[in-house]
Amino acid sequence: MIKTGIPKLDEFLDGGIPKGKSLVYYMQPGVEGEVFGMQTIYSALKDGGNCVLVASSTIPDITRGQFKEFGWDINQFNNKFISVDAYNPLIGAPSKEKYIVSNPDNIEEFSRIIVDIIKQLPPSTIVFGSLSTIMDLCGERKVIEAVRIWNKMAMLYDHVMVYNFTAWPYSQETLDLMKGELFNAVISIGGIVERVIFGQYFEILKSDWTKEIKRSMLFRVLRPGGIKLYIPKILVTGPFDSGKSTFVHALSTRAISVDRLGTTIALDHGHVDYKGFSADIFGTPGQERFDPIIRLLSGESMGVFLVIDSTNPSDFTRAKQMLKITMSYGLPYVIIANKQDLDGALTPEEVREQFDLPEDVPIIPAVAKDKIGVYEAFEVLIDSVTGGI
Amino acid sequence: MSDYILGIKELDNAIGGIKKGSNIMLIGPPMSGKEVILYYIMYQGVKNDNAIITVTTRESATHILEWFKEHELDMPLSRVGMVDCVTKTFVGTVVESENIKIASSPVDLTGIGVKISQFLEEYFMKKNIRKVQLHINSLSTILMYSNIQTVFRFLHVFTGRIKAMGAMGIYVIESGMHDEQAIATLKQLLDGVIEIKSEDDKNFIRIVGLSTKPTPWFEYEIEGANVRIVGRK
Ligand SMILES: Nc1nc2c(ncn2[C@@H]2O[C@H](COP(=O)(O)OP(=O)(O)OP(=O)(O)O)[C@@H](O)[C@H]2O)c(=O)[nH]1
Ligand SMILES: [Mg+2]
Repeated sequence: MIKTGIPKLDEFLDGGIPKGKSLVYYMQPGVEGEVFGMQTIYSALKDGGNCVLVASSTIPDITRGQFKEFGWDINQFNNKFISVDAYNPLIGAPSKEKYIVSNPDNIEEFSRIIVDIIKQLPPSTIVFGSLSTIMDLCGERKVIEAVRIWNKMAMLYDHVMVYNFTAWPYSQETLDLMKGELFNAVISIGGIVERVIFGQYFEILKSDWTKEIKRSMLFRVLRPGGIKLYIPKILVTGPFDSGKSTFVHALSTRAISVDRLGTTIALDHGHVDYKGFSADIFGTPGQERFDPIIRLLSGESMGVFLVIDSTNPSDFTRAKQMLKITMSYGLPYVIIANKQDLDGALTPEEVREQFDLPEDVPIIPAVAKDKIGVYEAFEVLIDSVTGGI
Repeated sequence: MSDYILGIKELDNAIGGIKKGSNIMLIGPPMSGKEVILYYIMYQGVKNDNAIITVTTRESATHILEWFKEHELDMPLSRVGMVDCVTKTFVGTVVESENIKIASSPVDLTGIGVKISQFLEEYFMKKNIRKVQLHINSLSTILMYSNIQTVFRFLHVFTGRIKAMGAMGIYVIESGMHDEQAIATLKQLLDGVIEIKSEDDKNFIRIVGLSTKPTPWFEYEIEGANVRIVGRK
C-alpha cells in the first residue's frame, strides 16, 4: 500500500493505494490538478518507495523544479526516483534520462518502454505526468488499449499505477472509460464553475477496494505546501426578519449570532457537516444599512441562500435588491421560501412568479424554525456549486 | 453601445464594435506587423479599464512588457496577466510574479489552461472586472507541437469560457503555415476573423464575420506602437 499524500484522500481510500492497483486523477481543464500526481510521488518516496515519473508534456528537469516550488526535496531520493523522458524527443532536444521514448507519438514504442520498466524494476509507483498528452499524440483508442495492458501487467508485478488525465472534450466513449472501468480508482478534480472557476474540489468517483464513499473536499494549492483542504463559506441573506438567523441555527451543528433586541446587527456564524461536505455558514443582517457586510462576505463565499418570508411579498423588492448584490459576484444561489407553516404563505411557484425568476432557479419551501427543508436546500446548493464536471 | 473595441477607429466603425463573448482569429503573414496590431489591441483594452490576459509562445513575457515600456505605454500589473510558455524555470530559477505565470512548455496545454483560468478567476471574481480580453499569440506555435484535434479541444474549452463570461478572445495564426483544412476547423469555434495581407509592400486589414458583410480592406501603416489607417482598397 502506498499513500497518496493528499490530506483526507488516504483516509477515504482506507489507507492509500494497494499494490497492483491503478488510480486516475481525472481533471477538469483549467483546474490545477497535476500537483496530485506529484504529491503522490513525493509521498511514496518519503515512505521509502521507488518511483517512476513519465514526463510527456515538459522537460523532466522542469518537473524537478516544480517539486522544489512545493518544498519537496526529491534529490535526496535520487537512486529511487527515475524519469522517463517522452518530451525532449518531441521537440528534437537531447535527453540525459535513462529511459527515453524517442518517438512519443508511437504507442508501440511507448508501450514497449513502459512494459520494460514494469518488468525490470522492483515494485514501484509509476506516475504519468499527463496521460492526455499521450492520448493527443497517439490517439484515444490506442492509448486506452495500452493502458489496459499496463494496468494488467502492473497487477502481476505489484506496481501502483497513477495517471494524471485532463478531461478535454474527447469522445464520450473515451471519457466514460476513463471515469469507469479502466482504473481501479477514479478521483475527479473539478472546479466550481460559475462563468469562471473559483474554487477547486476533489471527489472519489470510484474505488474498488473500499466501501462506497461519496465525499468531496475543497482544496487550494500552496507553494510551498501542495494540496491543502479548506472549508468554504456560504452566505445566508434576505430581508429583515425573514428567518436567516433561524435558518443558520437550524442547519448548523454549532452556531452563534450577534443580535440585539432580536435582530442581527453583525452576523450569524454556523458550521455544517452534512453528507461528506463541510462549510462555514454566515448569516447577514437584513437591514439596508448593513449592505456593505453583504458585499464583504460575498467576495469570499461560494454560494448564497436567500431567505424570504413567504407571507410577506411587500419585502420582495428588498429581497431582489439583496440578490442583485450577491449575483454581481457570480455566485450560485438558492431561494428559501420560509415560514411555509403560516397562513397566507405563498407557494414556491407563486414566489417564482412574483419574483419573476427563471425556471432553473431553485426555490425550496421551508419552515426554518422546525428545520423543515433546510437540509434539502443545502444539498441543492452544494449540487449546483459542484456540478461542474 | 459595443462591449469591446479594437481601438482602430475605421475598423471599429465599420463593424460597430465587438459583442461580449466574441472569439476572433487574427491571421496574417510574417512581417506584416500583426504582433504590433495585437499589442495595440491589448493597450486599447487597458485604456478601457479591461483586464488583459496574454498567452505568449514566441517571446518571453518580460520582453513584451519591455516593449510597452519602451513605447511609454503604461500596462498596470494589477490587470495585465501574461502566461509565458517560452521562459524555462529550472530548479531555483523561479521567475513567476504577480502578473507573469510560467507554463512549462507549449505542449503543456493542461498547464496553460490552468494559468489562464487562474487569471480569469483573479480578475473576474476577486477584482470584479467584468471586461476581460484573452489573447493567444500564437496558435501557430502551439500547432507545431500538437495536432489539430488537440488544439481544437483546447480551444473548444476556452472559447466556451470566453462566451460564458462575456469576455473577448483573440487567437493569432500565422498565414501560410497551416493547411486550409486546419484553419477551417478552428474557424468553426470562432465568431470572426481579422485578416491581414501584404501586397506590393503595402499592408491591408479587414474583418470578416463580425458584421453582416466583410469590411473593406483598409491599408495601414505601423509607426512605433501605433496602427494608422492610410487608405481603402
Ligand atoms: N412561523 C415561522 N416563524 C419563523 C420561521 N423561521 C423564523 N421564524 C420567526 O421569525 C422571526 C425572525 O427570525 P430570525 O431568524 O431572527 O430572522 P432574521 O432574518 O435573522 O432577522 P434579522 O436578523 O433581524 O434580519 C423569529 O420570531 C422567528 O422565530 C418559520 O419557518 N416559521
Ligand atoms: Mg438575524
